[in-house]
Amino acid sequence: MNKIKIGLPSKGRLRDDSINFFQSKNLKVVNTFGDRNYFFNIEKNNEVEGIFLHAREIIERINDGTLDMGISGLDLLKELPEVYSKNVKTFQKLDFGFANLVVAVPKDWLDVQNMADLEEVSFDFREKYARRMRVATKYPNLTESFFLSKGVSQFRVVPSLGATESYPFTGSAELITDITSTGSTLKANNLRIINDGSILKSSACVFVSKKFLKNKFLRNFK
Amino acid sequence: MKQGLEKKKLKENFSKEILKFFKKRKFNFTDLDLLIDTNLLTERSGEQFKKSALTYKDLLGKEISLRPDLTVSTALKYIQKKKIKEEKYCYYGAAYRLDKKGDLNVFDQLGCEIINPSNSNSSLLLIDSILEPIKKIKKLEIIVGDIGLFKILIDGLDLPERWKLRLVRHFSRREYFIDLLKRLETNYDLDQETIDVDTKRLQDLIKIDQSKIIGGRTVAEIIKRFQKKLKDPRDDYKGKLNVKIIKNYLKIKLPLQKAEKTIIAFFNKNKLPTKNIKNYLKKIILINKKIGKKYSISFKTDFGRNAEYYTGIVFLAYAKKKGKVVELARGGEYSNLLKTLGYKKDIPALGGAINLNQLINL
Repeated sequence: MNKIKIGLPSKGRLRDDSINFFQSKNLKVVNTFGDRNYFFNIEKNNEVEGIFLHAREIIERINDGTLDMGISGLDLLKELPEVYSKNVKTFQKLDFGFANLVVAVPKDWLDVQNMADLEEVSFDFREKYARRMRVATKYPNLTESFFLSKGVSQFRVVPSLGATESYPFTGSAELITDITSTGSTLKANNLRIINDGSILKSSACVFVSKKFLKNKFLRNFK
Repeated sequence: MKQGLEKKKLKENFSKEILKFFKKRKFNFTDLDLLIDTNLLTERSGEQFKKSALTYKDLLGKEISLRPDLTVSTALKYIQKKKIKEEKYCYYGAAYRLDKKGDLNVFDQLGCEIINPSNSNSSLLLIDSILEPIKKIKKLEIIVGDIGLFKILIDGLDLPERWKLRLVRHFSRREYFIDLLKRLETNYDLDQETIDVDTKRLQDLIKIDQSKIIGGRTVAEIIKRFQKKLKDPRDDYKGKLNVKIIKNYLKIKLPLQKAEKTIIAFFNKNKLPTKNIKNYLKKIILINKKIGKKYSISFKTDFGRNAEYYTGIVFLAYAKKKGKVVELARGGEYSNLLKTLGYKKDIPALGGAINLNQLINL
């Protein structure tokens, strides 16, 4: 019999919360091969084979069929091309891993309260500086769709790998979109969230492959 | 349905004949670059347009795209050759675009462009040159619209300046445009609570160096726009009335012969200034006078909104096959494109293309 392959986040709070969530469903995660080993089992359950992976990797592996299910962030799935949603199904939204993807501008941009302001300023900017405003982000696809839906077409995306909050003050971008839970990091970096600039409200989710949707194992999570 | 070799032969024959005709009309044939710097595409049309282009990254990380459009390639040619006067180009080639599923579609096009035209008859010349090779097609229908006319309508309305700009800018984006009209009707614009907080912060900003850059913008620039925004009327403009005028204007659809009279009557009825409109309509009047009887042309105020770069007259030629519309040619005026691609200033330009793939299937 083929074993059920599960992926859980390998790092930080998301890993701990995921393990606790499994435990709450009477599925105790055990590191049979030691804490530093990436493979895990479920106590008293031989049908499962588990692996700790980067949260983004979990979605990739469910998509290519290497994993049957896993826990990852909704933001990560939504950022990927639509074709992923055909294979990777959101089975359950969880009450941890909350994060909002928001649009933030320098706090001293007093004239920019909402996306309509940003739309105007972006046209002015292009007129004045003969280039488009740059938006630094780790989420280019979500950012692009959201900006266009709000009428902001005069922008270009600058992919960021980290410390996105610094971009408007180093000359690398004019504004950003980023994940925040309380907004305190943005505030500490002299940025403010635009009133109607909420792109996505995300949380951790149980994702399963389309083929696995009817598997009896999923009854454990109901 | 025609197959492989037959199609190829038909294409070759059509292209030879049509190019010969374009050349006769003094359009110079030009070979256009197949690849375009992706940055230029993004600067022109933003991230959205980039999505429809097949893009590669070279070893140095520079992005290049297969041309999704031949107008951009022609405009780039004009810039690269450092032209300053009128140039009349014609071309034959393919445009490559990805559809929503990510599949590549190839559009074989024959077209002509006039960049920096030296006389006011250029719209007529271009439209006539594009239509002439397809004039024998049965039940050929032409639609003409004019984006510039919409701008004149908006200019005549009693609206805050920023709303006028907003409506004109987003005329080509139908979904968002409807959203804008809804907002205009409800007068939703400013958040008073945030304005109050920011007005306090304004006092601090006024005291600092006005040339200081914050997020790519100067302090002076931020203050100027903030103060302008506060002064702009909010509640006293007639949102609902203006929306009604716009909606009624966009319903106008009639034979081209009646366009001048109807548009002027519409402006008069809604008490909008007609001073500019009479002069502006000269191009439409000329097109009607010269080719109005040759073709079945209708005028639609709502037409031509699918490409962001059109600024004036737009046209489409189509025929119906088994009840379905087959688009055979389209084009229009695009006076802001060259500057966005790097030319030193905005210059008038216009172009149109015949869709060869559709033509051979008729």
